[in-house]
Amino acid sequence: MRRANQGHAPLDDATVAYVMTARRVFEDLRQVAAQLAGLLVLEAAGAKSGGPEHPMVAAAGQRHAEAVAGIYGTRVTTRARRHHEFLVAAADAIGRAIEAANRGIEIDPVLIPLRNAYAHLQGASRELPGFEMVSFEQGCCAVPTRSNR
Amino acid sequence: MTSYSLWVMEFAHVPNYPLSGLNYGAHNQGTRRLPYCYILIKGQGKVAMVDVGYNHKEYGAVLATMFGGRDWHPPDVVLAECGVAPKDVTDIFLTHSHFDHMGNIEDFPNATFYIQERELSKWVWTLSLDRRFRWLMLGIDPADLLRTVDLARQGRLVCVNGDREDVLPGIDLHAAPDTHTYGSMYVRVRNDGSANSQDTWIFAGDLVYTFENLRGEDPSDPEYIPVGFASGSQFNLVMTTDEMVKRVNGEIRRIIPVHEDRLKDLFPSRVTKEGLRITELALAEGEPSRVR
Repeated sequence: MRRANQGHAPLDDATVAYVMTARRVFEDLRQVAAQLAGLLVLEAAGAKSGGPEHPMVAAAGQRHAEAVAGIYGTRVTTRARRHHEFLVAAADAIGRAIEAANRGIEIDPVLIPLRNAYAHLQGASRELPGFEMVSFEQGCCAVPTRSNR
Repeated sequence: MTSYSLWVMEFAHVPNYPLSGLNYGAHNQGTRRLPYCYILIKGQGKVAMVDVGYNHKEYGAVLATMFGGRDWHPPDVVLAECGVAPKDVTDIFLTHSHFDHMGNIEDFPNATFYIQERELSKWVWTLSLDRRFRWLMLGIDPADLLRTVDLARQGRLVCVNGDREDVLPGIDLHAAPDTHTYGSMYVRVRNDGSANSQDTWIFAGDLVYTFENLRGEDPSDPEYIPVGFASGSQFNLVMTTDEMVKRVNGEIRRIIPVHEDRLKDLFPSRVTKEGLRITELALAEGEPSRVR
């Protein structure tokens, strides 16, 4: 079952190349957002292990830096411009969330930019094909899609 | 006396799902209709659910185009068939954290949610792993983590550590670690309220997808066949299946797989005008049938 262009206009070759590069960036940003959200879950649930010394804060920071480098290393086509803006906005918001997490895991200073980032990632996922917020290869609705990758 | 009314409420379905995804090793054996359902439990002054389905606003279009997911309807439409509104729901037991089971928690503003602590803590742990481990995160939606934060802050998240009896009167939670997921659990309803209940129902989450998982292909020679997917172990799935079978005294029709389309062959049911099936397992005193 093809899905590459479902719900989207056909892409030119340059934009396809952008998609191939930007997917890694998108996945990294999504993962960093999830890491920070995970720390917030620990904090909100009363776990003691969610402070700024948690190794995941540093891991998130490193991966975020890699994602930012990736964002500015892509060749953005006209068709991909809006998608790229979403990625930039998401990366900025995640950067603010990481800064807040480095000061200490208080929920709101991290959660508010994180929600913002998530909204931008959702925007990106709608803008071009190949950027899903959840990998649907698992769970009860998941027909393997690896052949489409 | 029957304590709780119990219904299996379909909220969407996939017409043609590969059987190999449901039963371990069932390769090249065709497809099957796959319903998505949650369980409604009503009685003793409570309205409870097992799982909440997924959020169509975020996943519906993708599911529809990628997998043929159809006829999704929101909880207010689905539950209304049994005279219940989402705001009435008091307690929700999350069998595991996959998006199609806990992806709609925001639609239940007054409910307290129960999940195994291990499911959350191991989920967070996997986030810290290197990119090459990302398979372990499949099926997980970061947005569900953000919603879980809100639940915890509102005091509506209960992290359960292992088994817990009488979480509601006659309702027990049983941990199934490292099976379908890291911290899956199943829900047992002792519907006569007795400790040694003869009226036990088990809601298996994704520990069981089909009847074949419980009895194999040959009724004259039953065997346990694990589900088609596990991030834990198939061994643990098989042993948990046996545990569940023992808890219902071998009466496997009392173990309810929510993705089994043939429940209608065992229990009274009807199809709503939205094309979704309601299956009625039990009726508490004074509760009218919703399928007749």
